[in-house]
Amino acid sequence: MTTTNKEMTKFFEDVHWLMDILQNIDVGLVVMDKNYKIALWNSFMQNHSGKAPEDVLQRSIFTVFPELSEAWFKHKAQSVFVLQNATFTTWEQRPYLFRFPHYRPITGTAEHMYQNSTIIPLMDSKGNVEQICLIVYDVTDTAINKMAQQQANNQLQNLSRTDHLTGLFNRGYWELRLIQEFKRFDRYDQASTLIMMDIDHFKKVNDKYGHTVGDDVIRQVSRAMKEQVRDLDIAGRYGGEEFGVILTGTDAQGAAVFAERLRTTIEKMVVISEGQQVRFTISMGISQLSDKIVDHRGWIEKADAALYQSKEGGRNRYTIAS
Amino acid sequence: MRAHLLTEDQRDCLQEITNVAMGRAGDRLARLLDVFVVLSIPHVSILNPTDIAMALHSLNRESNDVVHGVCQGFIGGGIAGEAMLIFNGTDFNDLAKLLKYDRVADEQAEYELLMDTANVLNGACLKGLAEQLDTHFSFGPPMLLGQHCNIADLLQNNNMTWKQALVVEINYSIENHKINCDLLIVIAEHSISGLVEKLNYLLD
Repeated sequence: MTTTNKEMTKFFEDVHWLMDILQNIDVGLVVMDKNYKIALWNSFMQNHSGKAPEDVLQRSIFTVFPELSEAWFKHKAQSVFVLQNATFTTWEQRPYLFRFPHYRPITGTAEHMYQNSTIIPLMDSKGNVEQICLIVYDVTDTAINKMAQQQANNQLQNLSRTDHLTGLFNRGYWELRLIQEFKRFDRYDQASTLIMMDIDHFKKVNDKYGHTVGDDVIRQVSRAMKEQVRDLDIAGRYGGEEFGVILTGTDAQGAAVFAERLRTTIEKMVVISEGQQVRFTISMGISQLSDKIVDHRGWIEKADAALYQSKEGGRNRYTIAS
Repeated sequence: MRAHLLTEDQRDCLQEITNVAMGRAGDRLARLLDVFVVLSIPHVSILNPTDIAMALHSLNRESNDVVHGVCQGFIGGGIAGEAMLIFNGTDFNDLAKLLKYDRVADEQAEYELLMDTANVLNGACLKGLAEQLDTHFSFGPPMLLGQHCNIADLLQNNNMTWKQALVVEINYSIENHKINCDLLIVIAEHSISGLVEKLNYLLD
């Protein structure tokens, strides 16, 4: 054999095992030209898509995969051609490029494979980018773990914010929102009104009918509140039988309408618990946020003072703080 | 006292080559996006994690909301670091217009837009820088800041494995679009040797 022949043999051997790697590596590889015609399709792509190389080679990727958004993909690829710079997609923004089934059809829980992908420029000998290579990674396990973690975190967050008896916000979180609302007012000067309320003679309810009935009363009041607040309002359980509602974008007059409606609803309400019929009323204090109130505590104090006036004035009523 | 990471000459040299790199980047971006990109003169400084956290904080002075930012790792030629792109006063619709996206449908589309913008801007700059240093960088996928962690908290945490870093800061704005962002190229002290070597070579 001549030297050239030996070199050629060596070259083909090298290319052979390089191709073997490309074919068998467990990531998807697709090489495309400027017209998005497929020039390489490795086994990962072949096996997961069920499309053989002869069905896809020299055909446009958009013809082979109509579900791949042409405008979007071209857009991504354009920056690779022009900037000669890799571009990326992640499962968090786009769960997959190609809808492939889960790698483990028996024990896998996801409906499809989650994919990250990278598009890299391939330079020719003159330094021009005539082709691009799309690399597809299976990140299903990472995605599922991350989503499960996020879900658990959300659940924990909800639990830590919620009052267990009533399902309203608990005091800690409600106060946090009160502080936020106070700061927001400082910046945007939009009306905001706080209502503090208390169930009248609640101690007597507890003493006369027992704590189970007392709990039911608290639950019913909370339910009535939840039914009447709007999405942006912030209702919380402040203490035993004391509640607070922040009515955003609402002035004292608007809050008075809300308070009166809630008052009559509760006045008419009969709670049946443990075979007993219980009627009760609530008292409220209303305070609209103004420049004179220096911090969120001052805001609560004003509403509380108005609530105290309602109690003094005979209960089952609301008072607007002056 | 912090200056020992780079000598004055090395620093000037880096300033100079980033300047050239930005010129190239501006040209590339103009061709891709058909707009005129206004790039500030790069500012080179040596910062510790708290400084960077403060810098990020001050970039974000306009609102109390989460910082919209994207970071992306790069490595090559003995240099490793992260490019952090912080968007301030940027309108999503203008961004979509710039990248020729039809519309910003939802939050995920917004994130994708941020990532794509970051990838394009970071890529253009770092490619320019790599060319000047006669090397080639590999890039990791961009990561959204603030989605899973608060960057300022992260940096203020004392567990960082580095004490100081070289920071190149560049401001971008795009003519006739409400888009303004700052790019911080942060190279930590333990991966600066390759850069120093290359700067010395250029200085000789």
